[in-house]
Amino acid sequence: MKNRIRIAGLGFMLLLGTLNAQAQEKYTVSGYVKDIANGEGLIGVSVYIREASTGVVTNPYGFYSITLPQGEYSLVFSYIGYQKLTERLTLNADQRLNVEMSTESKQLEEVVISTKKEDENVRSLEMSVNKIDIKTIRQIPALLGEVDVIRSIQLLPGVTTVGEGASGFNVRGGDVSQNLILLDEAPVYNSSHLFGFFSVFNPDAVKDVKLIKGGIPAQYGGRISSILDVRMKEGNTKKREVNGGIGTIFSRLTYEQPFAAGRGSFIVAARRSYIDVLAKPFLKGDLKQTRFNFYDLTAKVNYRINDKNTVYASGYFGRDVFGASVFGFGWGNGTATARWNHIFSNKLFLNLTTYYSNYDYAINSDPNNKTPKDRFEWNSKIISSSVKPDFTYYLTPNNQISFGGQYINYDSRPGNAVAVSSGESRNISLDSRFGDESALYIANEQKISDRLSLQYGLRYSFYRNLGPGQIYQYQEFQEGQRKFPELPGTAVPKGNVIKQYGNWEPRFSMNIGLSPTTSIKVSYNRTAQYLHLLSNTAATSPLDVWTLSTNIIKPEIADQVALGWFQNFRDNTYEASVEVYYKDLKNQIDYVRNSDLLLNRYVEGDLLFGKGRAYGAEFFLRKNKGRLTGWLSYTLARTERLIDGVNNDDWFPARFDKPHNFTAVGIYNLKERLTLSSTFTFASGTPATFPTNRFEYNGWALPHNVYNARNNNRIPSYNRLDLALTLKSKKKLFGIGQGEWVFSVYNAYNRRNPYSVYVQQNADNPLTTEAIRFSVIGSVIPAVTYNFKF
Amino acid sequence: MSKSAIYLLMSLFAVSIFLTSCEDAIGIKTETGPAELVVDGWITNKSGPQTIRLSLSAAYFDNSPAKPAPGAEVTITDDQGAVYTFTDEKGKGVYKWTPKSDTVALGRIGGKYFLQIKYSGEEYTATNEIKRVPKIDSMAYKEESFPIKPADGPKDGYLAQFYARDFVGLGDTYWIKALKGGRPYGTDPGDISLAFDASFNPGSPSDGLVFIQPLRQSININKLLSAGDTIGVELYSITLESYYFLFQVRQETTNGGIFAVPPANIPTNISNKNPGGKKALGFFGASAVSRAETVIDPKKAKPKS
Repeated sequence: MKNRIRIAGLGFMLLLGTLNAQAQEKYTVSGYVKDIANGEGLIGVSVYIREASTGVVTNPYGFYSITLPQGEYSLVFSYIGYQKLTERLTLNADQRLNVEMSTESKQLEEVVISTKKEDENVRSLEMSVNKIDIKTIRQIPALLGEVDVIRSIQLLPGVTTVGEGASGFNVRGGDVSQNLILLDEAPVYNSSHLFGFFSVFNPDAVKDVKLIKGGIPAQYGGRISSILDVRMKEGNTKKREVNGGIGTIFSRLTYEQPFAAGRGSFIVAARRSYIDVLAKPFLKGDLKQTRFNFYDLTAKVNYRINDKNTVYASGYFGRDVFGASVFGFGWGNGTATARWNHIFSNKLFLNLTTYYSNYDYAINSDPNNKTPKDRFEWNSKIISSSVKPDFTYYLTPNNQISFGGQYINYDSRPGNAVAVSSGESRNISLDSRFGDESALYIANEQKISDRLSLQYGLRYSFYRNLGPGQIYQYQEFQEGQRKFPELPGTAVPKGNVIKQYGNWEPRFSMNIGLSPTTSIKVSYNRTAQYLHLLSNTAATSPLDVWTLSTNIIKPEIADQVALGWFQNFRDNTYEASVEVYYKDLKNQIDYVRNSDLLLNRYVEGDLLFGKGRAYGAEFFLRKNKGRLTGWLSYTLARTERLIDGVNNDDWFPARFDKPHNFTAVGIYNLKERLTLSSTFTFASGTPATFPTNRFEYNGWALPHNVYNARNNNRIPSYNRLDLALTLKSKKKLFGIGQGEWVFSVYNAYNRRNPYSVYVQQNADNPLTTEAIRFSVIGSVIPAVTYNFKF
Repeated sequence: MSKSAIYLLMSLFAVSIFLTSCEDAIGIKTETGPAELVVDGWITNKSGPQTIRLSLSAAYFDNSPAKPAPGAEVTITDDQGAVYTFTDEKGKGVYKWTPKSDTVALGRIGGKYFLQIKYSGEEYTATNEIKRVPKIDSMAYKEESFPIKPADGPKDGYLAQFYARDFVGLGDTYWIKALKGGRPYGTDPGDISLAFDASFNPGSPSDGLVFIQPLRQSININKLLSAGDTIGVELYSITLESYYFLFQVRQETTNGGIFAVPPANIPTNISNKNPGGKKALGFFGASAVSRAETVIDPKKAKPKS
């Protein structure tokens, strides 16, 4: 009872506070914050009102809005790497204030620290969020000199990978498919070129990268582990700009140009690997038809119609192509996004996004039509299209309400295939699958006092698996083994609901300021995922099929709590954090032992279900200023699964479980033109299943695990040092531009890090058994890249 | 193109062209479990003696020959009540049934077979059946050359294939075995070639078709043949359970690299009558066999397309 009175009292006080504020004459100042050099909107700029001791942060479009009582104010705009900007303002009417900020002059004496605080790390409500700006990503030593967004985020706390060359990344014990990877708000289904060696994002076209590992705000949904929000550059609105580079793998070219007197601009960026071009003269005969390349094209245009309306359109198209005279294989993503930013009033901001995203692959055994009597064609595709309004209502300086929704339509074609044998053909295609996902959310970011702020929200997601489609019930004969369909199944007509699921997803974060440089943050979120990547291989493969939830496959659900301590030192030169988290995963998917996940009509019978848990502690120390910048990160974590019928129904570590993970990233500005950088990684070996016994059958020595265990061993640990040196050329390119050379060495001390260890019988003697260490990269890899800009 | 072949190709492309992947043998420590009885037996409808080998499992890295399991009572009973007794005359765990005449066969298409083993106080059983097998219609070969000279085998030679047609009716499964010079060819577990109807797996309906080209050509064991070679094929009809046993043998013995799947135990159809008793490993198979052979004659070879 006492508690209830207290809560009521608190509510009354809050109400009173609001009323009290409303009694005065209030006005709103709002506007966009942009980069003076190229007109790009700046995301996450702190706008601080000195007199009111309050502030806001710009949204992903660079927009801010704040409502204050009539009066005189100083607005302080601050952003890491930019010069602080103070604007005096007499507020006696609603007002638009657009500002442009310039980057800090690149003087090296700048070790002297400015007096004001860039203490967003401590003050913001965000926790479990890592941002790396593209400038830093560019300076990190890269494999074969190719700057890469996804390989860079793997250096952050709580982020791991199953091994070199594996596609994607694992966040806090979640699998690769549980990350929502957004490129200008459109989901990217496969983030890799060449399996996992390079990611699909062209670094020259990327403006901002944000990884949300916990405390996921209510506007995001659809994947349970993390959000990787990649925003593309808008294009220089001030002048024409050309960027490019010639690397070991890719050649890159980016073109940006303003139009309509700076009201609009566009950017076009292209990359292509060119090993096949270089190799062509050396290939003979059939090999001449070998095709092997990957490319991507990124384009974006924006136009400011007037002060209240801005439109953006962006697109991505990328493809990997492998082929020989007898075999062709290609895959890739395509996305298109159109957005409209509208300012209804100074307080109400709308971003309306519509997108189309598609991932597909195609295999053809006979690309040159040489053997029409015997061939095989196979393709698979997932298409999603969506509309997504997001509103922000800047109610008071202390209450910022966001609300909106999303509708996604899924069209999945898991496999269309035709097999022709001796002139007779069989269509072995699987039925298309349909579904849709809707969501509504509302959230409030509330500052209760200088010391306490909250963000609370609720998302409701609703998914339907829709007909037409043939559905099956499955019969289990033995736990952990293949289940067989009860034929002929049930035909569900077009438009009818096969199965529907709804989930309430509460989100909550709290920041308790202990001092101006210290805070404690707490967060909780529930997330639901209706789309599943069926993949039983160590690294996901481009052939894996994204599968909708059905009557058999239930939505994956995660609950995560996180607690963190954040502290900045030495006037924000250093920021430190310690976070602990616990994550509970429901309806996780595993596979029967001889699972057949491709072109299998009854694939649901090959799936096993269970739950997961992941927990850990992340230690992070980052130095933001001075000649030497970089970070140290250490993660101690576990991620385990409990699947019916696997590992004797006991918990086992997930394939990507790595208890210890340490990374060090250092970037040292040696001279004005010369930067050295280095990364070091140490990680526990991933789990492996080794046999206990061998038995002889038909002249073969075969493995057997008497205890029927999964992941009962671990492969040796992983460690690697990379180095890079960036040298800016003295001479101006074409009199105006700038060139730089990047020399890099990957795996500097030549360690054969195991990707996996497996057992097999010796190739020459099938009765001799041995353990094989498989290293994806078994030597030092040096590279040179030349980048230019004019 | 089978899934594993695609993974193999992908891995090859992925790593060999740019990077320096490598594999080397290392020493690892593993636990060892208790030894178990291993049954290695596969009866057919071919005439002549049939053998069942019994041995014991050992520690995984124990590379000495498997210990034989002598002293067992081994019998097969068929669905018509006939009992076939297997005896281990040399005491080496090799149990043999020898017919009165060399033209007599144990197996019969459509027959069901029940294996019984009494060994060291335990009683093990297994059943299997002999399913129908189509005849091999013909064998053919054509000139072929590899773009580069392979490490073993010729650069220019002949690519052979056999033609046979799957029966109409879903779910016929086969084991395709290559012969060269009349002897088994390509006996590594990784060379096991399996067909579900006329294609690779149950997911791709191919019922009643001529075996698809990659299966027809699976008798080449990734090498070209030379003039004068005798190449042949034996087509074994197998049950679905046998198909999955062999499937898993192949998977567990070739399961490395970027696209490895979680290792799992190879299934067995041998069970102990006493569910709480000691377990056994291995498999009792039964097949009908059809066979064809041909000698590579350059004059009859189809020219290169």
